[in-house]
Order: sequence, then structure tokens, then C-alpha cells
Amino acid sequence: MEIAVASGKGGTGKTLVATCLTRILAEHNPVLIDADVEEPNAGLVIPHQLRRTFPVYRPVPEVDMNNCTLCGKCAELCRFNALVVLPAEVMVFTELCHSCGLCSYVCPEDAINEKDHKIGVIEESVLPGGGQLVTGRLLVGEVQSPPLIKVARETGGQDAQYRLVDCPPGTTCPAIESIRDSDFCILVTEPTLFGAHDLELSLEATRMLGLGTGIIINRWQEDDGEVGKIARDQDIPILERIPYSMELAKSYARGENPLEALPELRGILEKVIEQVKERVG
Amino acid sequence: MKELLVLSGKGGTGKTSLTASFVYLAGNCIACDYDVDASNLPILLHPDNAQGQEFSAGLTAVLDQGKCIDCGLCRDLCRFDAISSEYQIMTLSCEGCGFCAEVCPVEAIKMQDRSSGRWFSSTAEINGKTIPLFYAELRPGEENSGKLVAQVKNEARRKGREGGYPLLISDGSPGIGCPVISSLVEANLAVIVTEPSVSGFHDLERVQELLAIRGVSSILVINKADLNPEAADDMEKWAGDNNIPCAGRLPYSRQLADQVSAGRVPVIQKELYELILPVWKKIRATLDGMN
Repeated sequence: MEIAVASGKGGTGKTLVATCLTRILAEHNPVLIDADVEEPNAGLVIPHQLRRTFPVYRPVPEVDMNNCTLCGKCAELCRFNALVVLPAEVMVFTELCHSCGLCSYVCPEDAINEKDHKIGVIEESVLPGGGQLVTGRLLVGEVQSPPLIKVARETGGQDAQYRLVDCPPGTTCPAIESIRDSDFCILVTEPTLFGAHDLELSLEATRMLGLGTGIIINRWQEDDGEVGKIARDQDIPILERIPYSMELAKSYARGENPLEALPELRGILEKVIEQVKERVG
Repeated sequence: MKELLVLSGKGGTGKTSLTASFVYLAGNCIACDYDVDASNLPILLHPDNAQGQEFSAGLTAVLDQGKCIDCGLCRDLCRFDAISSEYQIMTLSCEGCGFCAEVCPVEAIKMQDRSSGRWFSSTAEINGKTIPLFYAELRPGEENSGKLVAQVKNEARRKGREGGYPLLISDGSPGIGCPVISSLVEANLAVIVTEPSVSGFHDLERVQELLAIRGVSSILVINKADLNPEAADDMEKWAGDNNIPCAGRLPYSRQLADQVSAGRVPVIQKELYELILPVWKKIRATLDGMN
């Protein structure tokens, strides 16, 4: 079973929930995938031992000027304006390239080969308590994160009983790439106007994907506020509520085990796991 | 016109609360929200007269099942797994490259404009002044967030030139990817709002690395500093070592959370005003000292 832990707004507690679920499920050797490749933080708050690192590339065109006749077909067909034909050369703008491969396929002279362009690394670690951590880390300055997220999701035991994906914030392509093939999506939100606004966007995304979804309200105080109304209106279950705790915030800031800072957190997340299992079937 | 861009790397450090406060304190400025994934600045600034425009940057493939001869070429060549075994185009996966339409032997695939979202031009009444506010909403699942950021930025900058505004204050996206990189274009100074947590520090280093690559100067604000005062000290030292000025520390504040919960700009409240004003003054002085 693969569970994506996502949110529209950043900083609502995705990594807290994903790493604590992983700690609780340790005896089942879970795989935790940190798909927030722009800012991967799971490894900062869960002890792990790095075992292997490998680079991830995406293909980008390289024009062989010995064979190129400057016919312009590549630039004409590229929808991303990643190729520009000048009087004596073809310029490639790697940042704009989406690695679709069309230019190389249509070149009548076979003058375009694709070369590997490094976009990041995957770090594979073992968790001393049991399980694996797979971290995708985007190279700073790189624009295209979805291909790296894809590789991160393909790494680590695919048939593990539990796979957890710590997703990037937002609702656009990196977030979609992280959650699209999961069995269930936990949306972590907070009972604020920002949390509620961004939750609605996330729910639109999980609905488009036809993905079973439940909500955890983090930093919960007296009531569910606007988040409760959205959950009722859209018939999405609020799985559990994590109470506001300054003690937890302080301990988490130091990178300590949240299950010790807030002892009731274990019980709350065990109930989340039970509910997700029931819903996934 | 100068542009002050508020970033954080990590989400949830307080970018939007501080951006709204800076807009209030600056007075004569234009406000802009580049977080097109999850635009929250309007929640605090309450825009009036919002004029929405469709934003369409990309294309999507449309397949005519009646013409399709089931040759499978499009599916084999699509690198985004956007064509199903039954030849349904999965719009969420389609990047709009047009490879499928180009190779289809019977021209069963056409490329169509795809509306990815909307951008808005509006005004906000803040402290007795009318401030132009630009923001956008990308549809869930869409890409081209960088292009939408560029669109919002261009509109805001045009308004700034026409109206003779001295300052553009913009709220950035979390992370260091496509929308953030797009928001750096022509920015004069980036305010990095961080928090003294292990994650906050890690993400701060990555966003600063990006700013250095792109040649954008930065200034640090340590929010929620009392979460971990020792880590806040370490951050200040790190900033000093990297020649990044520190505009100050702000405590983890119940009042700030309450103001935001009520949809109000934090600095309207007296205690928050007294906390945030000195931070703003340092940022302003740094910005004014730049060419």
C-alpha cells in the first residue's frame, strides 16, 4: 500500500506525519520516499544510514554541427522554444527543454543526439529501526523536478507492505507526480484561512486523480474552523487531529523524535493507519 | 522601481504574513503574489475590483478515436505516459510537446490550447492607501507555473512603470524550483524568512545557494526565533560568514497567528507593529542602499 502525505500549503506538517508514520510502521520495514526534491527534509528528522547515492539525468538535445544543415525543423516543432537556429549554429536552451525527444526524432539528418543532463541525486538509506529512506535531491538551479521525483518513486522496495511518500507542497506538476500512483492521499492541513484555502486546491487535485483522500488537521486547538466546513461540504473524512503543542514544535525544530515530545501522537497516527487500511481495503 | 522578493525555501515560515506587513509599512508600493500554486496574499490584503484574465501557455493533445488506427506509435514515443492503452489522453500527464501529433500517420491527434489558470489585477485598501495587487491561480495539476509567475511579474512591473511606483513587494513560492527561479528575474533584494529548525536551516542554505547562482542579494529574517534560540544564533553566524545581513528576529507569536486567522495584516496590531517595524526599517535601508 502506498500512502502519499501531501498538502497545498507548505509547513503544515507533511514531513512530521510521514516520518512519524514510518517510525510507527518500522516493524513492517516501510519505504519512505522524500519526493520534496527541492527541499528534502525527511532525512533531517529521522535517523538513517546512507548506503548508496546515484545521479539522475534527463535527456537534452545536442546538435552535431557536422551533420546539421540548419533546416530549422527542430526549432519549428519544439513547443518550448528550447532550440534556436542561428546563421551558423543551433543553440539549445537546456532550461526550457522538456526532454520530449521530438527534435531528435524529426531531424532529417540525424544530427541531434540526446545527452544526459544531471538534475539531481537519489540517496538510498536504511532506517535503523527498520525500513528504507529514499531521498530525491534536486541540484540547486535546476528547473525540472518531475523526472527526479519519478525516479525517487521507482526506487526502494516496490512491494513493501507500506510505502509512504513525503510530497512537495502545492498542486502543480511536482505534487501531482508525487501522488498520482498512490493508493491513498493524506492531506495535512492547519485550521487557518491559508490552510483552508490551499486544502481546497489539493482536494481538487486528488478528485481529478480519483484518489482516496483523508485529512489530518495539525496544530489543532479548539475547533476545525473553515477546514471542517470544507471537509463536510466535500464529504472528505477528517482522519485525526494533532493538537497544537509548543513542546512538539520546539523539539521538532531540534530534529528530535516527535513521538517522544508528544506521547499521544503515536496513538493518533496508529488510528490514521487503521482508517487508511479500512479505506484502501 | 525596485523589487523586494520574499522567499523562504521551506514552506510555512511566515512569508505571506510578513509580505503583507511589509506592504502595509511601505505604503507607496505594488504588491504581488508569485505563489501561483497556493496564492494566500489576497487572503490578508482583500482585493477589490479584481480583473481576471485567462492564462494559456501550453497545449494539450486531443485524439480523435474515430480516425485512430491503433498503431501504437504515439503511445510508444510519448515520454510522459500520457496516452493510455485505450488511447485516452491523460491531460494531467500531457506536457503539450506535440510529439504524438507529429508522428500520427493518420493525423488523428491535434494540439489544442490549454487554459492553465488565471491571473488577476486588483487593488487593495491598506492603511488608507490604494495599492495595486497582482496574483494568479494556476489550476491544480497544471504546469507552466514559471510562465505564469513571469506573466504576473510583467503585469506588475508595467503597472509600476506607468504609475511611477518606487517599489514592488512580492511574495514568493516555497522551494527552489521553477516558480522560484522565475520570480528571481529582475529582483533587487530577496528577504529570506526562515525559522530556526533543522529543516529551516537546511532549506535556507539551498535557497541562498540559488540566489548566489542567480546573483540576487539577500537579507535574512529569523521568524519563530524562540523555537530554538541556539539555532537562531547559529543562523545569524552563518549569515555573517556569508555576508548576508540579518534584519532581525521575530518571536513565535500567538498574536500573529490570531491576526492571520482573522484575515488581517499582522502589523495592524500594536505589539506586532512594534516587533516588525525595526525589521522592515533594516530591510528598507538595505534596499535603499543598493544601486
